[in-house]
Amino acid sequence: MAPVDIADSVPYSERPEWSDLTPVAQYENIQPLAPIFYNPDYKDATDYFRGVVKTGELSPRVLDLTETIIRLNPAHYSAWQYRYQTLIATKSSLADELILTNELTRIYLKTYQVWHHRRLLLTLLNDPLPELPFIEEILKVDVKNYHTWSYRQWLLAHYNREDMWVQELPLVERLLEEDVRNNSAWHHRFFVVFERGGADGEDTVRQELAFVKEKIALAPNNLSAWNYLRGILDHKHLPYSTQADFTKLYVVSSIALNEESVVDLENPRPSKGAQLPSAAAIEFLADVYEAEGESGLSKAVELWRSLADEHDTIRKKYWEYRIREATVAAPD
Amino acid sequence: MSWLPRSTPIDGYPTKTSDLQSETEDVLVSHLPREDTPPVLNKNPHLQFLVRNLVQGFPARYTSQDASQPWLMFWTLQCFSTMQVGIDPNNKQRAIDTILSWQHPDGGFGGGPGQAAHLLATYASVCSLAIVGRPGPKGGWDQIDREKIYKWYMSLKQPDGSFIVSTVGEVDVRGIYCLLVVAYLLDIVTPELIAGTAEFIVSCQTYEGGFASASHPYFAAQPDEDASPHCLPFPRPNLGEAHGGYAFCALASWVLLKPFLPEGSSLNINGKRLLRWLVYMQGSEIELGGFKGRTNKLVDGCYSWWVGGEFALLEALGITGHHDRSESDAHTDGNDEAWADVDAFKHFTDSLFNRKALQEYILCAGQHPAGGLRDKPPKNPDAYHTLYCIAGLSAAQHRVFPSQARRRQLEEAWASDGELNDRLRKTAFVEALSWLEEEGTSKVIGPSSNRVNATQPLFNLTATHTEGIMSHFYHQTVPRWIPTKAP
Ligand SMILES: [Zn+2]
Repeated sequence: MAPVDIADSVPYSERPEWSDLTPVAQYENIQPLAPIFYNPDYKDATDYFRGVVKTGELSPRVLDLTETIIRLNPAHYSAWQYRYQTLIATKSSLADELILTNELTRIYLKTYQVWHHRRLLLTLLNDPLPELPFIEEILKVDVKNYHTWSYRQWLLAHYNREDMWVQELPLVERLLEEDVRNNSAWHHRFFVVFERGGADGEDTVRQELAFVKEKIALAPNNLSAWNYLRGILDHKHLPYSTQADFTKLYVVSSIALNEESVVDLENPRPSKGAQLPSAAAIEFLADVYEAEGESGLSKAVELWRSLADEHDTIRKKYWEYRIREATVAAPD
Repeated sequence: MSWLPRSTPIDGYPTKTSDLQSETEDVLVSHLPREDTPPVLNKNPHLQFLVRNLVQGFPARYTSQDASQPWLMFWTLQCFSTMQVGIDPNNKQRAIDTILSWQHPDGGFGGGPGQAAHLLATYASVCSLAIVGRPGPKGGWDQIDREKIYKWYMSLKQPDGSFIVSTVGEVDVRGIYCLLVVAYLLDIVTPELIAGTAEFIVSCQTYEGGFASASHPYFAAQPDEDASPHCLPFPRPNLGEAHGGYAFCALASWVLLKPFLPEGSSLNINGKRLLRWLVYMQGSEIELGGFKGRTNKLVDGCYSWWVGGEFALLEALGITGHHDRSESDAHTDGNDEAWADVDAFKHFTDSLFNRKALQEYILCAGQHPAGGLRDKPPKNPDAYHTLYCIAGLSAAQHRVFPSQARRRQLEEAWASDGELNDRLRKTAFVEALSWLEEEGTSKVIGPSSNRVNATQPLFNLTATHTEGIMSHFYHQTVPRWIPTKAP
């Protein structure tokens, strides 16, 4: 179907092919509160859409009408829904519809409906492979768009195909190379590595720990990376103390950091530009001490105090809460 | 100003995210509160902004919200309620008539007349009717077709306990939250309706502690359409990262569903991890303590409510800023009601987030000089951000919590009418109405005229409006609560 040129389009009320349909005004017998001042094109098209809904017509001209409305207001979920039902009823080409949806996705990537329409089409077309490069194209426009990512994750979970999964880690690595603070990319990494099920053995864990620690070294105040580190340990029920030596490198101030000749691959050192101490590292180490019980408690409290009073003052109440919780907790 | 808060550290390694963060901090720093002049809530220009939208209407750029007309109505009406402004009977009636024109003949409310019924539109419509409606002919409440809503709800239910938002629509936790609120308000909660839904909510929590939009129930497409899909045991994969808006909807849903879990159920969310994630959503001093919606994203006024409003909900999980733990336990099972609540007041001095800073963000950065509130400067105001900034201000000013004493009072006053599901209905009624504002502890930054009303944190309605509509649909009289002043 050719896209409609809205600027030149004739109002539906003046189209002979629509003369058989009675348009329905939005508000007929009431004076509405909080109305919207629509432009005439939109009012015209939606009057005819209400007319169509009333008669229940499912025909090719409805496809034209709903496309017009969607282009004027892509969040009009009823137009999308009616369009989908019309596509099915008229046995229209879903492959053609996907081509049109590609265009609409590029323009309206922030709307729920365009992504859901895609998902409905894919479920019937069952050809997910070309979707992956398409999504990457959309990610270039907005690399953190929520709908784009949740759609990609749906696609992977729904089809669960090896030839799809293999493309994911290289993508994540590229994106984190570009911007190590991209939390959507970190979340996708977690999804791919740990939520797929069955693929997260010991090797994977070692590999992920090495990966995230290297990224922390690059920018030690990046919360996304620290959250990923915590995510791995929580998910695999590994104690935080396994990362104590690494974390200790990040709680000292930059000046106090001695040059060391031995390179420890397990515990990469902070980059030259690192602004230390990293508050996230202090928090992590406090958790390590807290888990030690009685013996570590005073060290944990000291670290929380330093967060509350100096390194993370906006969360003062939270750090004080942590101190209370840890110290008030029943000893046995 | 002599003292400037420090910028977010970028570790000598700038990226697109940190560039955007720095640019935002450069703008926000010029809105820092001034020590000599306390920030003022400019109620009049905001009210003018709201009245203009309500009575004259919304300008053409709001066409993008044509399918969200109930939301435009709710955002505006609830702003009035929170800002302690009543609506005249004539406009109330116009509001009722307008809202009823969105009711779909097959149940539920749509985004406008002739639009398909939608879970979100139904929440906004019913909550708007809670504000302006009344019983009787033309009053709005008795014209809601509850039986049809219930049937329509059941038609949206999915095998994993979730719901699609409309016929052939998407699944997400916003829809579930909206469905549960309406089911509570209209007294249509049943075991069948909510079966499996708590499991779905739990499965949306991400490794960061917040919640995703949805989870996926199973791997692999099922070529055999007749085979009933099998749900994965936990964890099911998350669709999307932890997000403030979804986290609010998921947490509120959890609080609404928790009372109906079978006794001894081990199902739970990770409250500790959620709390940690929530406090990390608060921006630092240079961001004026506003909230963001995701890790490494920018602060935005609407998360004042979506994230700031969640701390009250945590109270229902026993996660609280109460100082004295043993007292709050005594409070739970103490038998002297008045004593128990007085004690709670005495020991409350704190919260888990920075209430002062959040108020400063809303007052200094969130207000548009010409009226209305916004995401952040220099953006324009809109109806959505106006409500959620004001609601966030309310959450920052007041401590609202589920009171044991109020709960007992409601339980005793419950008049059983022998209807089916009497126990369940009673639970819903009591759970929704036991929220109280802690008297005498509101922390208003700036002049006392900055004070806005407290809201019931599960629904984002005032206690008065919640009680009004629920007492009607549950056929109950709500006993008067006489607050005991702190000594
Ligand atoms: Zn916003």
